[in-house]
Amino acid sequence: MKLARSSRRIKLAVSLITVAVLAGCASVSVEQNLKRVNEEASEFTDGQLALARSAEDHAKRNEVAAKLLSAPVKQKEAVQLALVNSYSLQALLAQGWYESADAAQSGRISNPIFSFERMVAGDELELSRALSFGLLDVLTIPARQGIAERRIEQSQLRLTSEVVDHVTRVRQAWVRAVAAQQSLAYAKQVLESAEASAELARRMQSVGNFNRISRAREQAFYADAATRLATASHQATSTREELVRLLGLNESQAQVLQLPERLPDLPKQALDPSAVGKIATKSRIDIRLAQTSLEGAAKSQGLSNVTSFTDIELTARRNTKIDNATGTRSDPRGYEIGIRLPIFDWGGMQRDAWNARTISAANQLEATIRSAGSSLRESYSAYRTSYEIARHYREEVVPLRRVISEENQLRYNGMIIGVFELLADSRDQINTVIAAINSEQQFWLADAALQASLIGRPTNTSLSVTTSAPSAGGAGH
Amino acid sequence: MTSRREFFKYAGIAGGAVAATAVSRVAMAALPEPVIQTSPQTMAPLVPSSGRPYNPVVTLNGWTLPWRMNQGVKEFHLVAEPVVREMAPGFKAHLWGYNGQSPGPTIEVVEGDRIRIFVTNKLPEHTSIHWHGQRLPNGMDGVAGLNQPAIAPGKTFVYEFVARRPGTFMYHPHADEMVQMAMGMMGFWVTHPKEKNPLIDEVQRDFCFLLNAYDIDPGSYTPKIMTMLDFNLWSWNSRIFPGIDTLNVRLNDKVRIRVGNLTMTNHPIHVHGHEFTITGTDGGPTPKSTRWPEVTTDIAVGQMRQIEFVADEEGDWAFHCHKSHHTMNAMGHAVPTLIGVDHTGIAKKINKLIPDYMVMGERGMADMTEMEMPIPDNTAPMMTGEGPFGSVEMGGMFSVLKVRKDQKPGDYKDPGWYKHPKGTVAHEYSGPLTEPARFKAEGGQSMPRIQKSAQPTEVQVRKPTSHKDH
Ligand SMILES: [Cu+2]
Repeated sequence: MKLARSSRRIKLAVSLITVAVLAGCASVSVEQNLKRVNEEASEFTDGQLALARSAEDHAKRNEVAAKLLSAPVKQKEAVQLALVNSYSLQALLAQGWYESADAAQSGRISNPIFSFERMVAGDELELSRALSFGLLDVLTIPARQGIAERRIEQSQLRLTSEVVDHVTRVRQAWVRAVAAQQSLAYAKQVLESAEASAELARRMQSVGNFNRISRAREQAFYADAATRLATASHQATSTREELVRLLGLNESQAQVLQLPERLPDLPKQALDPSAVGKIATKSRIDIRLAQTSLEGAAKSQGLSNVTSFTDIELTARRNTKIDNATGTRSDPRGYEIGIRLPIFDWGGMQRDAWNARTISAANQLEATIRSAGSSLRESYSAYRTSYEIARHYREEVVPLRRVISEENQLRYNGMIIGVFELLADSRDQINTVIAAINSEQQFWLADAALQASLIGRPTNTSLSVTTSAPSAGGAGH
Repeated sequence: MTSRREFFKYAGIAGGAVAATAVSRVAMAALPEPVIQTSPQTMAPLVPSSGRPYNPVVTLNGWTLPWRMNQGVKEFHLVAEPVVREMAPGFKAHLWGYNGQSPGPTIEVVEGDRIRIFVTNKLPEHTSIHWHGQRLPNGMDGVAGLNQPAIAPGKTFVYEFVARRPGTFMYHPHADEMVQMAMGMMGFWVTHPKEKNPLIDEVQRDFCFLLNAYDIDPGSYTPKIMTMLDFNLWSWNSRIFPGIDTLNVRLNDKVRIRVGNLTMTNHPIHVHGHEFTITGTDGGPTPKSTRWPEVTTDIAVGQMRQIEFVADEEGDWAFHCHKSHHTMNAMGHAVPTLIGVDHTGIAKKINKLIPDYMVMGERGMADMTEMEMPIPDNTAPMMTGEGPFGSVEMGGMFSVLKVRKDQKPGDYKDPGWYKHPKGTVAHEYSGPLTEPARFKAEGGQSMPRIQKSAQPTEVQVRKPTSHKDH
């Protein structure tokens, strides 16, 4: 009897320790989260993310940002700057942290309830102590632990995905800002050319060589060029501000932000489809996210089959009864089992819900897998097409335009064409250069989108049409 | 080359000519070997070695086609074919012509000669030849479809007639005429008088050339055949100044110049330093009573004119068409007039965009010849020609009549620039200038206008200023 009692006591102790240990496992820290994101995405971001929590942290980050802002910010530096400077990213990190913490919480066992009762009845004093906990809670700990881990995993993957998206947006905003700034410089040249034409026409009219209509034609082109410059100027401002927001720059940081004068050169060779395929077969975030979500749902479903039906409360009880009248004392002990009666809720809805959730997750996974390949192919097509177009501009269109300009210069020298035709041609050439810049911009946007697609955060890539139709502002015919 | 022997037969009469062998020798056995000219230079006159004698002409930047006598018939062989013609040094054109050149060789015959002409077509399309101005049997007149079937590519036709009247004539296709003439197919024809003719004088120098025009885009080689009137190259015998040879004569030579017009506009041909008379037209020698002295004669489309004068003034005399656009080479017809337009500050602005830009035309177009900037390949500058006193600033239909007392009879060599006797060249005046007395001429009006212009037109005349700031 005594032996039996002690062995029972040992068992209880063991299970309590187990509970404690298991509960301890399902914890998560922000460092773990960041480590995970950094592991997953460091190749993509080319930098490390950290959550600033102290004033010291913030000061350090400001210092790094200032250093990055001291020189023209290239695309890579723009991403670095976002990593250290963007409050949106910091918010994302904190959000990821609390989601993980919430998830970890769900894997913990609820604390046991200790109750103490003291009852006096006449001479009788009864002290009762009870330690109770949900039996299923304990028994399902390993299962719930697994679920919590999935949820943590999910929140981490989701965070990585959000970071990838933010970085992609930074990259694209940088491309747009640089291209707009570059186009603006050329739009200024168009205006200068138009200005020279208009001024020359004005002087020609003043000495009687031009009539009003000829002069007005040149003047009209100038007026039009001024409008286009204003639009280009706004475009440069708005794309720059978009970048400023994504980098999280404050007023004074925004003021010192300098961008390179031009977009990077096109890579010598575009990635070929087989290389892209190889990179893509590595685990994609979106697929893994769908996978963990399915695993989580499946596990939860198994668990809910049990928990939805019954909830068993187990209580260990030890009472002490002291009878002052008789001076006797007894220590009865025992246990109590409480079962929630499935009268109103037989758990059917909950099981249905979990069932549906699993089916949904399974379908979601399949859908993700299927669309992953397709969206990657689309991304690649956008990337490859924009590469070919940009290269075509660089190697064919722009050189051809240059040949035309050179020949026009020769024709001007031979007095075969006049100065207005020469100026109109120079404007056409500049417009071609602007179109070429647009084509490069398209490529770098598609490149950023492809990188995001490869890691598993498909980004919309629609190519806009780039043309360089010659200006209508012809010469005096 | 198997034709070397043939070549030697003609050697010395037409320098640089070679006999062609491209057409099958078997097929050609009964035909005179065609003679091909490779040089665009003016060839020495072809003095006849057979047939009736005559005083040969000199074709400006051209040559005379040798012939053979076959049982009393003069036999010529013309080959219609694509040619490359150097229109001026450094500028070549892809034309169609005869026997290696455009225009084709001059055919010289004597009044009363029976002539047989073989025409071989090596063009990608059919052709025919019309003997412009000749009296001949209707079936020999050469209008494809009307008088004969067209000569298909690769075929040889034969024309035969008697040169019935002396005079100045030409030949050109009359099948797809517009294209073939725009491509340069034409040639000169001279029928010399059989015996002394009271209306035809003996001359010491007898030159001939055809007026023709092309539209060749600067930098290209082939004429635009659809051009109707807006030609950009005005040529003599498919040559443009400075590619036209000078007319070199001996002092007091009697000179005859025969000109035919196969362009689509008239040309007032003008000689400096002398007066001439028109001694012949398409119809033959003119009656003496119709001749009056002139310095310019307008040659209408499709016409021939024969002018004569005694070259009795020594010097280098300009000889040209008097339509000033016709003494220019390729130029833009839509180039705005910039004369008098102040360019201060503008050139700099334009240079930022177009680094090679230079202001031209602010003072006039002579800038063009002064600046000597690169122009498109295979293009003759609009105006050019370096004379002894600087640029002549000409192009197109321009040449020089050189009269020298020490030019040998029958020698057509260029004697170089004229050496002016002392004090006979215009020079800068360095004495004092007095203000000229000015007068005010107030012209009337034949009839008053009903509608008055709102404001009197103000015209500002800008006096020439120095050319600076660019
Ligand atoms: Cu003319």
